[in-house]
Amino acid sequence: MDISILGGQMLGIIPLGDIVLYFTPFNLFMFAAALAFTTLIAISKTESQVEAEFGTLKNREVKVDKSEFKIRRFLAIVCGLATAGAMVTGDLFDFTLFVALIAIVNIGIVAAVKEVDVLDSAFQYGLIAMIATLPLFGGAAIILASAGTISLLQLLQIPNSTMILYGSLLLFIGVAGETGVAPFFATKAEMFRTPGSPFLLIIHLSSLLVIVRTIEILLILNKPF
Amino acid sequence: MNLMGNIILNVAIAFLVGSVLFGLQRKIMARIQMRPGPPIIQHLLHTFKFFIKESAFPKTAAMPFYIAITAMLCVIWVAAVIVGPVTEGSLLLFFAIYAIHKIVEHNAGSSSGSPYGKLSCVRAVYSAAAEVPLFAVLIIIYLKTGTMIISNIVTFQSQHGALLLSIPLAALMFFVLILSKSPYSPFAITKGKDIVSGYETEHFGLLRGYLMFSESIAWYMLLWIFLTVFIGGLNPVGYLIGMVIITAFVALINAVTPILNPNHSVMTQVTLAFIGIAGSIITLLY
Amino acid sequence: MDKLKTASWFIFIISVVSIVYALVFNPAVWIVYTIALLFIPLSILSFGLLSMARGKKEEEEDKRREPFIGY
Repeated sequence: MDISILGGQMLGIIPLGDIVLYFTPFNLFMFAAALAFTTLIAISKTESQVEAEFGTLKNREVKVDKSEFKIRRFLAIVCGLATAGAMVTGDLFDFTLFVALIAIVNIGIVAAVKEVDVLDSAFQYGLIAMIATLPLFGGAAIILASAGTISLLQLLQIPNSTMILYGSLLLFIGVAGETGVAPFFATKAEMFRTPGSPFLLIIHLSSLLVIVRTIEILLILNKPF
Repeated sequence: MNLMGNIILNVAIAFLVGSVLFGLQRKIMARIQMRPGPPIIQHLLHTFKFFIKESAFPKTAAMPFYIAITAMLCVIWVAAVIVGPVTEGSLLLFFAIYAIHKIVEHNAGSSSGSPYGKLSCVRAVYSAAAEVPLFAVLIIIYLKTGTMIISNIVTFQSQHGALLLSIPLAALMFFVLILSKSPYSPFAITKGKDIVSGYETEHFGLLRGYLMFSESIAWYMLLWIFLTVFIGGLNPVGYLIGMVIITAFVALINAVTPILNPNHSVMTQVTLAFIGIAGSIITLLY
Repeated sequence: MDKLKTASWFIFIISVVSIVYALVFNPAVWIVYTIALLFIPLSILSFGLLSMARGKKEEEEDKRREPFIGY
């Protein structure tokens, strides 16, 4: 199979020892998008919400305070960079590490808000993310054990086997749990309702982009033809 | 033709045709509901009009994100035009573009600080969980044709007949996706009138005009992908006729259905996605 | 002229110049894509920021006050 039937023509590779970064228009676009959003997050202020006060006719402005703002911005930038890395890496284990990092900083971004409901969601999300590391790394390990390589460009040449299919299913479960916001926690509105939209954006961005990238990886691993 | 000229021409066509199709959709909906309805070029006129309206930026907004996010929407759909009509590149890229479109909806809503926008932002995250599986239709196309490159899919169809006939469930899934992106559709929960204008509530004046510009391109591009991927090999007149037919059909559905509440909308979409994926894979296997 | 207007003029001129450059000189493909992706949206946005009407200074105070005064 040729990589160019998935993401378009190969534009170039950056070999960093074992880890080979490769660029097709598809990877490059998502890489650029992740970096563009990260830059915007780094320079943006947060929005403030105006709420009606209970019992009076006054309004109250809810803002992100400075210490919380600093730590959340830092975590959001790390998350953006990890997402950008996960978009172009040509190494399966590298990809899983990036995904695990994304999950960790996403929990951090949510957990930095000092509200009971939000902390509750962060705790549950954290549990799922921790549980999901097992299938995530386990899947990558099974693929390594059965194919003998975790370089995606080499996995392209390796014929299908049941163990690779099994490994990639585990990998998919792992990714779904790690970037759990879109599939599992979308209903947890508390997480998205708090002020600090740039930081919440990166949670959503990282989970969607990683899912899109995972689909490319699954198609590389399991060749239907 | 000069590449830049080609891109600008295609962007302009996408914007103009998309706007007029939106206008047509409102007109058809109005006639079904026995109202006279606005002129067909109303959406186009609105887009231009908003550019010269008095604009201000809310004090509560997250600057510069509040403005940059509108530019982001335009960037991704210009990218879609380049991937689509200009170079006929990879369908996977559309998947990425669509994912980023959901993120723009999310952030346009939340960056203003308005509670309506925030609700729309929450709904955008929520509906992403349903619309991204719908976009998995691309994988079914890949399984059928063995390629993700649009020009190769068109070639495949010229040899094996239209994909609309061989994988109809996938076409249905994509149609539901198109339907959920149209205004007043039963699945348009991010723009539901119960939350004023959803994520666009606080983007008024020129920013609204700018968003409408990008949305027109988005509508044109979604219809373009549907026609190219499922029918393929059409000439410009064929595209135009196909787009008018789909828009009219969408208008018919939108005119006679209410906007579903978020839970029902997402569950309907997920169910349709499940039926589509499972059904298509079963038909591909046998 | 205020900051927003100056910046908009600056961006608008740069984007129009680069689009014209790509149209006339036909540079390498990736340069054309970069220009198209960055400067087509930016030119429209900056044009909009220039063409939009601005509120009058005198009316600003009226707008800032709460419109609902029915308590």
